[in-house]
Amino acid sequence: MKTLHKLSLTAAVAAVAAGTFAVADMPEEAAEPSITPRAMADALHLVMDSDRTVYTRKIVNRLAAKDKVITASEHYDDEKALVLPAQMFRYGSEMVAERAEEKPDVNFSYSLQSLWPVNKQNAPRTDAEKEGLQYVADHKGENYYTVETLGDIKYFTAVYPDVAVAPVCVSCHNEHKDSPKRDFEIGDVMGGVVIRIPMEG
Amino acid sequence: MSAGAARRCLLALLAAAPAAAAAGTEDRYPEFADEHLTAGRVIWVENCMTCHGYGIAGAPDPNKAKAWAYRLEKPRETLYDHALNGFFGPDGTMMPARGGNEDLSDAEVKLAVDYMAAVAQRANDLADEQAQSEAETDAVAESRLDPRP
Repeated sequence: MKTLHKLSLTAAVAAVAAGTFAVADMPEEAAEPSITPRAMADALHLVMDSDRTVYTRKIVNRLAAKDKVITASEHYDDEKALVLPAQMFRYGSEMVAERAEEKPDVNFSYSLQSLWPVNKQNAPRTDAEKEGLQYVADHKGENYYTVETLGDIKYFTAVYPDVAVAPVCVSCHNEHKDSPKRDFEIGDVMGGVVIRIPMEG
Repeated sequence: MSAGAARRCLLALLAAAPAAAAAGTEDRYPEFADEHLTAGRVIWVENCMTCHGYGIAGAPDPNKAKAWAYRLEKPRETLYDHALNGFFGPDGTMMPARGGNEDLSDAEVKLAVDYMAAVAQRANDLADEQAQSEAETDAVAESRLDPRP
C-alpha cells in the first residue's frame, strides 16, 4: 500500500485519551503532523477494543456468566439487565459522533457494521465498507485498510474484524428473528468495526 | 545420531525457519505420529483453532510457550475439566464448555485437549532449547573475551 500522508492528529489523540482539550500550554510541536492515518486508526481501535474487552470480562462475564447475579440482554431496560458488549460499543460510537460535532479538530467516525446485520441500519453503505467487511470475513485475523472518496473528501477507512467470542453472541444472532444469517459458530467473524478518518484538512 | 541430537537438529531446523513456521496450519499445528494426537488434531482444528489459533477472547495460542508454561504444569484432569465444563480465568476471560460445541463428546474434547497440550509442549521445548543455545553462545563469546590463559 502506498505511503499515506501524515495527519495533524496528535491533538485528537490527546483529546480522545484525556476526554478534553488542554490548549493553554500546548507546545507548538503538538500541532505538527506526527502520526499516519493507519496508526491513528489502529490506536483508536486498540482503545475501543480494550474498553469493550474489559467490559465483557470484568462486568458481563463476571456478573452475568460467572456469578449470575444479573443477566445481560438486548432488552436490558425491560429486563433490568446489563447492556450487551456490542450495544455498549454502539452507544459509545453514537456519543462520540455527537460530541465530535462540537470539536472541529476531532474529525473521525466509527461504527459496528455487518454483512448480516440484525438491524439493517448497521449494514455497510459504501463500497469500501462492503469490500472491507467481506475481506475480514474471508481472511481470519487480518484487518482491511483503504482510501475512499466520499463527496469531495478523501478518507482513510479501516475495517477490523468483530468476532463471536461467547455462546451468547452466537445464540443471539442465530435465533434473532431479524437475523439474515443463522449458522454462526464461536470464533466466526460476524462483522467489523469501521473507522473513517479524513485525510485532508 | 542419538535421539537427543536428532531432536536438537529438528528444533534447530524449526528455529531457523520462523517464516515457514508462521505460515500455515500444518506448520503451526503439526501432525504427530501418535494416532491419539492425530485424532485430536482433527477435532482441535475444526473446533478450537478458530479462537485458540488467533488469541480471540484471550484464548491462549498453544504456540506461545510463555502463555502455556504454567498451564502445562497443571494436572491434565484440570485442563479436561476446564474444556468440558467451561472456565473463568482470573482476568475475566471465559472458556465456553466444550468450546461452545455441545455436540462434542467427552472423549472428543479430551482428544482436542491432549493435542493442544502436545503443541504447547513442543513450543515450550523449543523455547527451552533456544534459551539453552543462547546461553551456550554467550558463554563461548565470553570465554573468547577472557584474556586469561
